Amino acid sequence: MLKIHRTVTAGALAILFSGSLVLVGCSSSPDDAQMKQLNDLKDEVTSLQKDVAAKEDQKSTLEKEIADKNAKMKKCNDDQAIVKQRLAK
Amino acid sequence: MNLKSTYFVLAALLVFAVGSAAAQDKMTKDQWQQEITKYTQMRDDLSAKAKALGTDVTSMQAQSSQLDADYQKCMDALYALVGSDATKAAAYRSDIEAAENKANELSRLSDADLVARSSEVNDLAANVKSLWENKLSLIPEFWDRLTALNEKVKSLQATLANQVKVYTVGTWAKDRDCLWNISKKKDIYDNAWLWPKIWQGNRDQIKDPDIIHHGQKLKIPKGNELNAEEKSAAKKYYAKKAAK
Repeated sequence: MLKIHRTVTAGALAILFSGSLVLVGCSSSPDDAQMKQLNDLKDEVTSLQKDVAAKEDQKSTLEKEIADKNAKMKKCNDDQAIVKQRLAK
Repeated sequence: MNLKSTYFVLAALLVFAVGSAAAQDKMTKDQWQQEITKYTQMRDDLSAKAKALGTDVTSMQAQSSQLDADYQKCMDALYALVGSDATKAAAYRSDIEAAENKANELSRLSDADLVARSSEVNDLAANVKSLWENKLSLIPEFWDRLTALNEKVKSLQATLANQVKVYTVGTWAKDRDCLWNISKKKDIYDNAWLWPKIWQGNRDQIKDPDIIHHGQKLKIPKGNELNAEEKSAAKKYYAKKAAK
């Protein structure tokens, strides 16, 4: 009888101990709403990264465009000077 | 410890192992908080960067538009220097392009075909001359293209000049064609004494210079005087005539 009692006691204690460990672990995780908050934040970051990449491309294109237009302006000014010289002859 | 106790302990350990494994798959609150902090910072940094880039892009778009307007003004001023405008310049540009296309077309012809279309070469030369007379030609864009056109026209004219003329003999009755009279023609040598040139240039067809036939196609060699060979041949001919 005592033997059975000891066995049952040991088993119950063991189960109680490991069960409490599991329960402690479960109650320290974020809930669904918090996980959604984190996932939404990650999505927002991904979207912003794409936006920044697109704007960087656009800026790079505009830099080239402006450089080309400046070159055309210079040529136009140079052409004016050449025409004036030719007219003076 | 007896067997039953051992089983209980093992079962408890199993529950513990499963439980802790399950617990490890889930993020802890601390880990979640760290992630939230990290991604919030990333979001804020990216938002600031996107805003700054947006400002730059807007500013550069305005700069690009202003450059378009300034360029237009510059070109209008350029055309005004020669008393013209953008519309007339566009029409002039089209005229030059048409002349360039004609020059390219004529350049691709064989020499024989070019001779047949020599009037088009003359028309092209006249067209290029009139294009030069327009003050728009002073603008480098047009000046350079007309200079290149000039070269092409000269090349075409040189090709024509190098071509051997061919004369088709008519009849004595109608055309009075003999080497002397052919040589006398204005569009041949305009000088009858150069008849030996035609004779020597066509030895394959003319055995006796006094005999040519209707329909013969005689090559008219270039030059306005007799070379040594032609002089020698003429001398022998006259000597032979005198001996008879």
